[in-house]
Amino acid sequence: MAEMSHIERVMAAITNAKGDRLSTYPIACGVNRNLVNGGITYRDWAHNSKLFAQAFIEGQKAYGFDYAIGLMDLSVMAGDLGAGVRMDEQNTPFVDKPVVKSVEDYEKFKVPDIKKGRSGVILEGTKLFCDVLKTQVITAGFLEGPLLALTQVAGAERVFMDMFTNPSAVHKALAVMTAYDVEMVKGFAKTGCAGLCWDYLWGNYSCLGDKEYDEFEGQKKYAGDLNELTTKEGMAFCIHNCADLPHLDTQIKAFKPVIYSMAYYPLIPGSPSAKETIEQGYADNCLVGGQIDPQLFIRGSVEKITQVTKDLCHEVKTALCKRGLGSRYIIASGCEVPPDVHTKKENIKAVVDATKKYGVVDW
Amino acid sequence: MSKEAILNKLSDAVVGGKVDLAKEGAKEALAAKIDALDAINNGLVKGMSIIGDKYAARQVFLPQVLMSAHTMYAGLDLLLPAIPKSAMASMKKAATAVVEGDVHDIGKNIVKTMLTAGGFDVTDLGKDVPISTIVSETKAKKWDALALSTLMTPTMDGMKAAVDGLIENGYRKNVKVCIGGAPTSPAFAKEIGADHRDANAQDCAAWLKEVF
Repeated sequence: MAEMSHIERVMAAITNAKGDRLSTYPIACGVNRNLVNGGITYRDWAHNSKLFAQAFIEGQKAYGFDYAIGLMDLSVMAGDLGAGVRMDEQNTPFVDKPVVKSVEDYEKFKVPDIKKGRSGVILEGTKLFCDVLKTQVITAGFLEGPLLALTQVAGAERVFMDMFTNPSAVHKALAVMTAYDVEMVKGFAKTGCAGLCWDYLWGNYSCLGDKEYDEFEGQKKYAGDLNELTTKEGMAFCIHNCADLPHLDTQIKAFKPVIYSMAYYPLIPGSPSAKETIEQGYADNCLVGGQIDPQLFIRGSVEKITQVTKDLCHEVKTALCKRGLGSRYIIASGCEVPPDVHTKKENIKAVVDATKKYGVVDW
Repeated sequence: MSKEAILNKLSDAVVGGKVDLAKEGAKEALAAKIDALDAINNGLVKGMSIIGDKYAARQVFLPQVLMSAHTMYAGLDLLLPAIPKSAMASMKKAATAVVEGDVHDIGKNIVKTMLTAGGFDVTDLGKDVPISTIVSETKAKKWDALALSTLMTPTMDGMKAAVDGLIENGYRKNVKVCIGGAPTSPAFAKEIGADHRDANAQDCAAWLKEVF
């Protein structure tokens, strides 16, 4: 089969048409700042829409991915809602000063102006990289779900306990987070991105059971409404799963995303492997991706990560073949490629090269 | 109220995440002159063990575990001061910390809870803890076990620095070092010279209990 373009390849995988090979996207986002102007700080990258966009453009030039997904970090919304965000020079930013000190504080949240702060940077930056890359690859914005945003701004431990002791206060705050997300979805719809990738961080059985997940994020409101809005606004609805033991029945079978990326957690009994995910039918109607150990990008050799990619290609192609699913799997990292200055660029390239070589599908 | 009824009350309070009930039960235990250590082990800790088993079996989840831990500590606050110092001295000492540069501490807090429930005298150094503090305090306080956590990749090297620091100050052979957190692995533990890596808090506490 002749070599397809990046977009043709992904569309073939989504529609279960004949594709030349598996598509690939080591989730290289913040790490690509090392390709901009000889390497810039995380702070500069996360505060400047042009530098944010340039990292994705340079990443595409360097590695030839099939996708570009505009993940910044998971403290963007919390910071714009007033939480203190610690921004080290070369470390992923994180919330170090949550703002909820009492139950009453849950009712004080207001949707911020999305044109300002890092919400504005990510929207503008996404537009800038989409302007350049949208004719080459599948582009997507990246957005934190309401429960993730609330746990970041209020503190996860606090929110989890208040789910029991003060559920109505938590729901009031979630309504504001959802309203914030609605604004962001509409903002992303104007960037030209083909898809919008949601981070529903807490949709896993290490953290929440079905009952809690359904009540505080689930299909009936919050996530359900936002997923529908995403599609209505003309973007493919995607999910990036961040944890072990994911709620696959809810997040894939009920939510029905177009693309679903799986985290890497081989040590937790019960977390499905790539093969098991396919065998259990989760790739039947969804383009699933994963699950290369992100640490290999720092600590592995080119030989090691090439072998891991080769093995993964073989594993998923065999499983896909048995279910008549062709190329419906993305060879991806199981979480973001560590945005660390020590991450090996050659290992990112090795994953793409190995997928080109070992991901070819025989029809 | 009988001793058995008070112990059951303490256990039930922890299982149900009822802080007021745990405080009430702890006061009743002291008033009834029940040995404080007995009340802790056969009341509060028994309840926490039940919750730990239910969490492992996915019958309860993180919010319930956190509520139960919060409840156990409410009871401990009242019962611990009543334990004779001689009894405390025989307990193994452990410390927990999230290494410098990271503030994600839910996992560390659950490890702290499970170690406490496992009979360790636990000092929690908190989150974003400077490596120099971890190293110097471990030696100064003569801790038997050190449990380090991080959820972020760039801060993993802090764990290695802590192990190296303990070698440098000559205390490494006296302390078992466990690591945990999503990006860590048994291979990483071996690479940096830590003794153990576990995927969950219960297994970490069980491993340390076995070692000692």
